[in-house]
Amino acid sequence: MTELVVTFTEEQIAAYAEASGDRNPIHLDPEFARSVGLPGVIAHGMLQMGLLARVAGDPGRLRQLSCRFAGMVRPGDTVTFRAEEEGGRVTLTALNQDGQQVVTKATAELT
Amino acid sequence: MTGRAYPPVDFTIDAAHVAAFAASLGEDADGGVPPTYAAVYALGATAAQLFDDPEAAVDFDNLLHAEQEFVWERHPLVGETVTSRGRVAKDVERRGMRFITFETDVTAAGEAVCRSRALFVIRSAGS
Repeated sequence: MTELVVTFTEEQIAAYAEASGDRNPIHLDPEFARSVGLPGVIAHGMLQMGLLARVAGDPGRLRQLSCRFAGMVRPGDTVTFRAEEEGGRVTLTALNQDGQQVVTKATAELT
Repeated sequence: MTGRAYPPVDFTIDAAHVAAFAASLGEDADGGVPPTYAAVYALGATAAQLFDDPEAAVDFDNLLHAEQEFVWERHPLVGETVTSRGRVAKDVERRGMRFITFETDVTAAGEAVCRSRALFVIRSAGS
């Protein structure tokens, strides 16, 4: 089992927004985020998936990765990303500090 | 909008850009192209066409990325130019929400590299 524990920060979310090109203000501007009914800025689903990929296994062997973004991740949240491989099929989980799944149906395949 | 396809986009994998992306994931910059850099060369390069398409009329302010899948034949290399083609695989409304499945095929020199499938949910569609 591989595990990665990450406490999300506004800085990391902003760095991901800049590097990925996804500058949707729901990730950057708390006032805007609240204006569209969110509790504040939230992390990109793709940032969560990027962290899932880190635990999934050797990046060069990664052939498939999928997940459902089930829960919001906000700055200050601590998420534990875990991977368990069996014969090239990887089951992935991501639980926040309250034990809630922030992604579901997360799987990967390795060659 | 189901079936709508967008023109191919060429994207060159740039070393500095890849390094910044890797760093934002807390990875070593010299570890090669992170697999989910596909968020940039596949999804990002083509979803922008959908979001900017007046006829598709995507309410971006209420859009959430609900699901994502990538399938790789291989991972692109720094310096390589890939071609990404996006299309709306499915566009339906249910319970007042709009669900768009957006697929992107990525090739290099005509050979398959990656396929991306994103599900976008747009809350309060039509309101």
